[in-house]
Amino acid sequence: MNLSIKIGKTKFPNPVTVASGTFGWKEKYYRLADVKKLGAIVPKTITLHAQKGNPPPRIHETPAGMLNAIGIENAGADAFIQEKIPMYKKLKVPLIVSVSAHSEKDFIQLIEKFNGVKGLGALELNLSCPNLKKKTLVAQDPKATHRIVKAVKKRAKMPIIAKLSPNVTDITKIAEAAEDAGADGLSMINTLAGMAIDVKTRKPVLGNVTGGLSGPAVRPVALNIVYRAAQKVNIPIIAMGGIATANDALEFLIAGASMVAVGTMNFINPSAPLEVLAGIKKYMREQKIKDIQKLIGSIRT
Amino acid sequence: MQKVQKIYKVINNKKLCQQFFHLCLKPVSAIPEIKPGQFIHIKVSQGLEPVFRRPFSVARAGKNVEVIYEVVGKGTEILSQKKPGEILDVLGPLGNSFCKPPKGVKQVVMIGGGVGVAPLLALSDVLKGRGYEMVLLYGGRIKGHTFNMRTFCKNGCKVYVATEDGSVGIKGRVDKLYTKIKANAKETFIYTCGPRPMMASVAAFARKHGVQGQVSCEEVMACGVGTCLGCAIETRSGYKTVCDDGPVFDINEIF
Repeated sequence: MNLSIKIGKTKFPNPVTVASGTFGWKEKYYRLADVKKLGAIVPKTITLHAQKGNPPPRIHETPAGMLNAIGIENAGADAFIQEKIPMYKKLKVPLIVSVSAHSEKDFIQLIEKFNGVKGLGALELNLSCPNLKKKTLVAQDPKATHRIVKAVKKRAKMPIIAKLSPNVTDITKIAEAAEDAGADGLSMINTLAGMAIDVKTRKPVLGNVTGGLSGPAVRPVALNIVYRAAQKVNIPIIAMGGIATANDALEFLIAGASMVAVGTMNFINPSAPLEVLAGIKKYMREQKIKDIQKLIGSIRT
Repeated sequence: MQKVQKIYKVINNKKLCQQFFHLCLKPVSAIPEIKPGQFIHIKVSQGLEPVFRRPFSVARAGKNVEVIYEVVGKGTEILSQKKPGEILDVLGPLGNSFCKPPKGVKQVVMIGGGVGVAPLLALSDVLKGRGYEMVLLYGGRIKGHTFNMRTFCKNGCKVYVATEDGSVGIKGRVDKLYTKIKANAKETFIYTCGPRPMMASVAAFARKHGVQGQVSCEEVMACGVGTCLGCAIETRSGYKTVCDDGPVFDINEIF
């Protein structure tokens, strides 16, 4: 059975990964032998300089989902490269580093830093975090998406994946802009903009006022967006949005995604990614599919 | 994928008093040793409602793992209906733990509010018989928040209770009981867990008398293992996660 996927020049051993910001692998909690079975690891988004994140409360439980407004709390690119990359490399799982910036200049600086790191699987450009107090996300504007992806692609030594937002009128316009600019792949979807209010105090529940909705609640929305984008672009799509089971993941693969990422459900069921992988293999055996490429985009309409 | 994800069997789940439940669980396979202050993260339903796990400080740990909880929402409501023999998906033990009392400490003061008293019971289990003078100051809003404190007494604690409505013990908040604290900067150490305003009052008292101590904090949590950064709490050295950096912090770090 061939489960491997290529994005740009990087080969991933299987199509199951984790969504940025949802997966840790501290040795005290995780079985590293299990972590090594993943198709790729995507750590939490890194910015050029350290960010302290948003004031609490940062998360709120919703029906079959959650709102978050973490605000990309991270130690910055230099600290990540020095302290975390060597540990990730030990795992020998392709690493997709998620990065975000507030300007083209910062994106370029980030790329230059990561160009110095050998053996990265890909760089995922988070163009779509809804929690950074910016009026418009890069991924809400086809021109801005094109400009950033092009500038990055010109300099990057590793494949570039653009992570897109569901908070747009027409996802195909953004997906095509990223493809035209040279993106090697797309990640979708980031969270849907959302909020909650405490009626006792009449105050927003989240410290950031608004946040991003994720979890099984958003899955049908994500599936539709992935399906629509897959109709238009020829580059591989990494799909995420409420995936909890193999069945969920199969929907995305059939809709046209090349890889699937478990996100929010990592918090609830840490075994979910490996359950998804096992379930995809079982389905392929049952359906007598020998190559995952035969499954990808196999929707019958 | 996490070695801390285990199946536990419900041994008992009974009302401890009018407002609180006492849940006794048995891990089906071996789990790491649980230290006082650590918590377990329970999936209360197999489906997606509610979606988050619920964190509970461990109240006692031996062959079985015990927690004390109050029904405050849909998660604890579902938990309260679990019957002996049912199985639960549990992550744990998670988080850090209470420190040993520093050298020279003679009086250990535990101050608990409501179900916040739970980790203090686990602490008293560990500190009993070590020559400390142990005092528990317990505050509840109403009679329904009070229960038989004999386990604390058996562990050698002097127990003092205050209720806001005066139905049990002294009338008022737990700060009415601060007179029981010797408040010697070098010889007293405070451990506290309860509602935030209560812990703030304990912190103010500790600071006034130069007494050191630790607090066990609570926040809404998703992952429980320091990944999502959702349970961030503001400390004097920036945001920390309650689940992994905590739940136990130096009293002066938080207040």
